[in-house]
Amino acid sequence: MRRVAAVARNAFRESVRERVLYNLLFFAVIMTVSGLLLGELSIRQDAKIIKDLGLAAMDLFGTLIALFVGVGLVSKEIERRSLHPLLAKPVSRDEFLLGKFAGLGFTLLVNVGFMTVGLYATLLALGRGADPALLKAVFAIYLALLVTVALALLLSIVTSTVVASVSTLCLVIAGRYSDVILNLGDVVPGMPAWALRAVMVLIPNFRNFDLKDRVVYGDTVSLGDLGWITAYAAAYTGTVITLAVIAFRRRELT
Amino acid sequence: MTEAPPALDIRALSKSYRIGHLRGKRRQALRDVTLRVPRGAVFGCLGPNGSGKSTTLKLLLGLIFPDSGDALILGHPIGARAARQSLGYLPENPYFYDYLTPREYLDYAGRLFGLPPGARKDRARELLDLVGLTTAADVQMRRFSKGMLQRLGLAQALVNRPELVFLDEPMSGLDPLGRRSVREIILRLKAEGSTVFFSTHILPDAETLCDEVAVLRGGSVVAKGRLDQILSLDVSHMEVLVSGLPPDLSGLPEGVETFRAMGERLVLHVPEKQLGGVVVAVEQRGGRVLAVQPVRQSLEDFFVAEMGQPAPAEAWTAEA
Repeated sequence: MRRVAAVARNAFRESVRERVLYNLLFFAVIMTVSGLLLGELSIRQDAKIIKDLGLAAMDLFGTLIALFVGVGLVSKEIERRSLHPLLAKPVSRDEFLLGKFAGLGFTLLVNVGFMTVGLYATLLALGRGADPALLKAVFAIYLALLVTVALALLLSIVTSTVVASVSTLCLVIAGRYSDVILNLGDVVPGMPAWALRAVMVLIPNFRNFDLKDRVVYGDTVSLGDLGWITAYAAAYTGTVITLAVIAFRRRELT
Repeated sequence: MTEAPPALDIRALSKSYRIGHLRGKRRQALRDVTLRVPRGAVFGCLGPNGSGKSTTLKLLLGLIFPDSGDALILGHPIGARAARQSLGYLPENPYFYDYLTPREYLDYAGRLFGLPPGARKDRARELLDLVGLTTAADVQMRRFSKGMLQRLGLAQALVNRPELVFLDEPMSGLDPLGRRSVREIILRLKAEGSTVFFSTHILPDAETLCDEVAVLRGGSVVAKGRLDQILSLDVSHMEVLVSGLPPDLSGLPEGVETFRAMGERLVLHVPEKQLGGVVVAVEQRGGRVLAVQPVRQSLEDFFVAEMGQPAPAEAWTAEA
């Protein structure tokens, strides 16, 4: 655990020093400009738009970081051989990989945390109430980011960086349109039901994590709903990270 | 009382890599390498580029996996955490994190060894001083030269006061002062009882430092043992430094095998038995003998002779 924490600490430090968190500036600009421009609209409308915009930006920036930083998390270390002297020390490959995952997970937590504060600050500055239900959507976004990091990590270990980036992006997009996959049977009539189920299980269902509209438009999101998506994220991420660990154990570091 | 196992016991280690677009061919990188390195020795793994030196180190560190054979490191199998707790490793052309300073990197390395904060801080200061990086201790490594990275590489290999240190081309990228400093560090490690296993193709360094060497070629060990076992201690010829002779050596007696000019002086290569006759002949022709030096086989002579031999076996084989 101590070694996992050491690797995670360094991965977080890397994100900070390599200016990954600079995306917060863009977020701040979006929030400020939208706050200024939307003052003309009616009170109910501008609050909804700001919430919608804030959550969408959080989702977009988070996904871009999870995807592109996630792909390079271990593959960059393999390419540059910077992990050779580390793996000669008493840290196992499993610990190294888990530490990297935890490090980026923490970076994303900080990122999402700052953006959440920014979103609430904008709402309060415009005199709109701080709706606590927003936190449920933020939590779901964060879970989706962890799933994305796990996928990026696995694919970067078993393929090249470019293939991993493209395939993770495809999976993220496919997972956001999983309702289309659900209707694949109608589009491809001969497709067996088991194949459809297999595709549904393999591709992460990112729609599960999309609570933005429900929260913004005041629908109830129960603790049961949150529990279910947490369990889904844990199972999916756990499986993908386990596969990544197995693949990394077998990877030759030439 | 049981005797401590050797620092390194490599048994018939073989490794091949898949190559080509369809990865249908294999290149044999290492073939049945067997070596035993006693504790406290400085052991040199010598060979030209591509001879299998780095592959051997990567196998021992568990970075790649052998096709066959195994090894015990400080009595533990490859990859055992107990062995890695007592190891140090400097990779060839090391790359560290651009965004860290040497002090931060050494702290990170110390954390992986489970050192407490105070010990990490003290050890980092001590090592930075040892490798001459104290003034650059808080500079991000993106501004480092190759030589500075090499120095840091050496420092991070010593964080845990290792019993066994693997150094892959430790002199690479260093200026003469840096190389001298590395030589001194290796000798200091030996004096402290550590075992040093280093790969190099800089033969004078190996000759100066090593108790034992193994010479690799095409993935096979072509010679191993103490230097006095490998090299002939017999005098191969005499070098005679003379002055006052014409540069074409016209009229010199037989016996001078070769010669080279050093300004106005000449260095004559003479078989030991002919020395007396050549000295008399030089003086009869008005020349002066300034120095006479016996010449023994050097590691470089041995290396060049060995590398001139045909390869041990065909290195490229098609996949069966």
